[in-house]
Amino acid sequence: MSQVHETGTATRAPSGPSRDLKLAQLTKEYATFTAVKALDLVVPQGKFFALLGPSGCGKTTTLRMVAGLETPTSGTIHLGDTEITYDKPYKRPVNTVFQNYALFPHLNIAKNVAFGLERRGIKDHKKQVADMLELVELTSQAHKKPTQMSGGQQQRVALARALINQPEVLLLDEPLGALDLKLRRGMQLELKRIQTEVGLTFVHVTHDQEEAMTMADTIAVMNQGVIEQMGAPNELYENPRTTFVANFLGQSNLIAGEIEGRDGDLVKVRVQGAVASIPADRAHSESGKGWLGIRPEKVLIAEAGQPIDAPGDVITGGYVTDVSFVGVSTQYMVKMPWGQELMVFEQNTGARRMLPVGTKVDISWRPEFAFLLDASQDAKAGIEED
Amino acid sequence: MTSTAGVAPANPHETATKAPRGRKLTGYWLILPGALWLLVFFVIPFYSLLAASLFDPKGSPLTGYDMTWHFGNFVDAFDQYKGQIGRSILYAGIATLTCLVVGYVLAYAIAFKAGRWKNLMLVLVIAPFFTSFLLRTLSWKLILADDGWVVSAAQTLHLTNLLNLIGLTSTDDRLLATPFAVIAGLTYNFLPFMVLPLYASLEKVDIRLIEASGDLYASPIRGFFKVTFPLSLPGVVAGTLLTFIPAAGDYVNAQLLGSPNTRMVGNSIQNLFTSQGDYAAAGALSVILMVIIVAAVMLYVRTAGTEELV
Amino acid sequence: MAELDRRTVLKGVGGAAFVGVSAAALKYGFNTPDQKQNPADRMAKDVSATDKRLVFSNWPEYIDEDDGKYVSTLSQFEKDTGIKVQYTADVNDNNEFFAKVKNQLGSGTSTKRDLFALTDWMAARMIQVGWIQKLDASKVPNLHANIIDSLAKPEWDPKRDYSAPWQSGLTGIAYNKSKAGEIKSFSELISRKDLKGRVSLLTEMRDTMGFMLLIEGADPENFTDAQWQKATDRLAKAKGDGQFRSFTGNDYVQDLASGNVLACEAWSGDIANAGDENLVWIPPEEGIIIWADNMLIPNMATHQDNAEKWINYYYEPEVAAKLANYNSYICPVKGAQEAMEKVNPDNVHNELIFPTEKTLAKTHRFMALDEAQIRTYEKDFSDVTGS
Repeated sequence: MSQVHETGTATRAPSGPSRDLKLAQLTKEYATFTAVKALDLVVPQGKFFALLGPSGCGKTTTLRMVAGLETPTSGTIHLGDTEITYDKPYKRPVNTVFQNYALFPHLNIAKNVAFGLERRGIKDHKKQVADMLELVELTSQAHKKPTQMSGGQQQRVALARALINQPEVLLLDEPLGALDLKLRRGMQLELKRIQTEVGLTFVHVTHDQEEAMTMADTIAVMNQGVIEQMGAPNELYENPRTTFVANFLGQSNLIAGEIEGRDGDLVKVRVQGAVASIPADRAHSESGKGWLGIRPEKVLIAEAGQPIDAPGDVITGGYVTDVSFVGVSTQYMVKMPWGQELMVFEQNTGARRMLPVGTKVDISWRPEFAFLLDASQDAKAGIEED
Repeated sequence: MTSTAGVAPANPHETATKAPRGRKLTGYWLILPGALWLLVFFVIPFYSLLAASLFDPKGSPLTGYDMTWHFGNFVDAFDQYKGQIGRSILYAGIATLTCLVVGYVLAYAIAFKAGRWKNLMLVLVIAPFFTSFLLRTLSWKLILADDGWVVSAAQTLHLTNLLNLIGLTSTDDRLLATPFAVIAGLTYNFLPFMVLPLYASLEKVDIRLIEASGDLYASPIRGFFKVTFPLSLPGVVAGTLLTFIPAAGDYVNAQLLGSPNTRMVGNSIQNLFTSQGDYAAAGALSVILMVIIVAAVMLYVRTAGTEELV
Repeated sequence: MAELDRRTVLKGVGGAAFVGVSAAALKYGFNTPDQKQNPADRMAKDVSATDKRLVFSNWPEYIDEDDGKYVSTLSQFEKDTGIKVQYTADVNDNNEFFAKVKNQLGSGTSTKRDLFALTDWMAARMIQVGWIQKLDASKVPNLHANIIDSLAKPEWDPKRDYSAPWQSGLTGIAYNKSKAGEIKSFSELISRKDLKGRVSLLTEMRDTMGFMLLIEGADPENFTDAQWQKATDRLAKAKGDGQFRSFTGNDYVQDLASGNVLACEAWSGDIANAGDENLVWIPPEEGIIIWADNMLIPNMATHQDNAEKWINYYYEPEVAAKLANYNSYICPVKGAQEAMEKVNPDNVHNELIFPTEKTLAKTHRFMALDEAQIRTYEKDFSDVTGS
């Protein structure tokens, strides 16, 4: 908060009652399809919130409704107690960092950054602009035109141009999508740093799960107009509730099983002849068929007959069909006796040699790392879309 | 490359250097038709005009003209026709401004609001070109005729009084043969030259920039003046030039819709060349008009500063 | 450094060469030569006998046409002589036609025409610069025998050695009697308040300035510079007051008929031919301007003999009467009035075709001008009408 300059800003809410962003039953229908279906969402004040989903899932539409660039078909948007659902975009204390930056090509960097302040009648903005350019490390570029700058620099200008207005909510629409991978990594950390410094509410729309997990305090995974699951990044990753989340956020092995029922804090599942025990809080189905899910890096692998350092069940009879060496780890595909190929990621600790294709192997995992999903869902949901 | 070839002519590189030279020549061959065209249809006529402007004014088409570096022609022509020059600039200026206002609204509507009617509207903009310039102007003569319904409607609505008041018409309640009719004719005839470049440049304005301006607290009107309009400046500059330059030199509208008191410099040049056969004065007046227009255009383009938008 | 110097030098030399070549081109490349010719040197071989043709350029609607049983004068000529006439109505304006043939006549080459008809002053101008062939008096006996006295001795061709009038006409005032009160004089035309902005005058300097000089009490055939100055000043004043709608060529009838123009300076035959009974033509009180369109044989014409046969033919009274009956302009041929009895008795006393001595006494011509005077007067006139 120390970075926020209090001079002459009207939009900044007084400290006091919470100024959370609340979406209630928000719906956007177009002639041929529904982009957003009765969305309920609370973005806590001062948090870095990510809206994650594949393209066409409705996340950008949601963002544009918050910005005022689209009018909702029904539902409401509140900032604290103030309803802003139908406010004109230029009357909302909300600013956006657009996907392609949308910098004004006829204005130099300093004037781009000062644009919002000038429109609100703040004439004496020299210091604010200078401070903002310093924050995004572009002080020396103030008099250049946007077209003379690199993608990363333009991105930072777009950020500065929005941030200088000290909006209550900053919306970021795929802000890093146009950058190359290396630059994107750098900007992710940069964005997180700035958000921490200014302490504003950030709503970040992205289809890149890694980006969302790196930066966000809370992620909402969106699919086909609804939020599938919302929570802290590690919580979503470790304990996905749907096959879509399991697949879209990282990778998962989903193995078909029969749920035998609950036993205390555990749910028992029969999987390919063996019985697995899943902690009840990780079991999102308690009867019938289910998908037993396990992350590839949680699966341990050893040559057939060799001991595996795990207390869980050992499944034997697999063999390696593919090996990819990716530096920090080795990724194996293991064909199981029932025909399914499972992914296994092993850290390259150096404790054992790499297993060549064709090696007969046993695999195992700790039951508390597994999760259980309802088998009515498509096991491949969320795989192709990224 | 060339110096290597010079140092070692027997070098195997030579064959390599020859190929690009051949390609270079191709470039010149491609320029040739255009250059010839310019020579025949621009350079020679231009020199001819320049020579005529320096003819001894005592000549005539029958007794012949001699080029005697008679620079006094310029002084005489300017002195005698400064009224028409001023009138041309004034009329063309008003017509250009009117075209800009009307044309901008139209181009904006076509670019942003026309939807699927866009192509149809563009065709309608250029539709007048399907008939001849002269015919279109002549039909305005019919429309604005003293006994026509336009004049009586304008009289009923007291529009003629308003026009009289600002000096665009004479005092006897008519439209034809007044400055108003000439300016209206110029505006009508050159409007498409304004609309098309404006449309082309508005069409290129990224709608997301307009959204961004709204997001940054600019009301639609301020967003227009701060973002859309500056971004359409290349079209504004092109459109005003394409309208002003031909309008300033036009003589058809003044001839058909004006009166002897609304003659423009184009009428004088035409009259000097064809009726009076005074090539010296005609040439000098043409060169003066050209210099004024070129100077005005350079000043204008520099002020508008479009190069920053490229 | 050496490279740079050489480049600078080359640039300098190139620039100087460009300026030099441009200056030379301007000085010598575009001068226009004197267009004066000697008609005796520009006589083409006459092929009339072997190539029985005649090419004639005339003004539009100026000759009678075959109509049912009616045999036109032209058809009759072809029948009588066996000469095929290529008649083209491509003279719309003296200046325009002048521009059309100027390059050929000025350089002594053929215009591909054997005969054309131009108004007095333009005919005079062409004769003056030697572009017109002399007529063989022995081949046009009718011309010299029958031409009416008032047209027989123009100052610019006192013996009609070079020219033969096709038709003559009067310039006066026309007005729309359904919309404007009676007009009697040219000074009313240029000053009456009820006509303000609804008057058109002719761009023909000799017509319009003729009347302006008459208003000043000057003789258009012999006036002083001071009188000329007063006449142009008066015209400029009226123009400045917004009296005039326009200065026109042939196209004034349309505006007069539509009501945009209430009154105008007009040629006699045009109004008679317009067939609108609201349009009347009157001779102004100040006087009338008379003019004629003259048949001329240009240099290098190849059918002089056929052309002379044509001229001689149209100076037969019966032929002239038929022609005048068609186009209502003044007939230049003596005896045509008597011949008109047979052609159309109604027109025997038509003042437009056969003006009485009384009318003719009121007519005026414009003084003959040399090339320099043409330039001066045309310029003074244009400065008023064109600004």
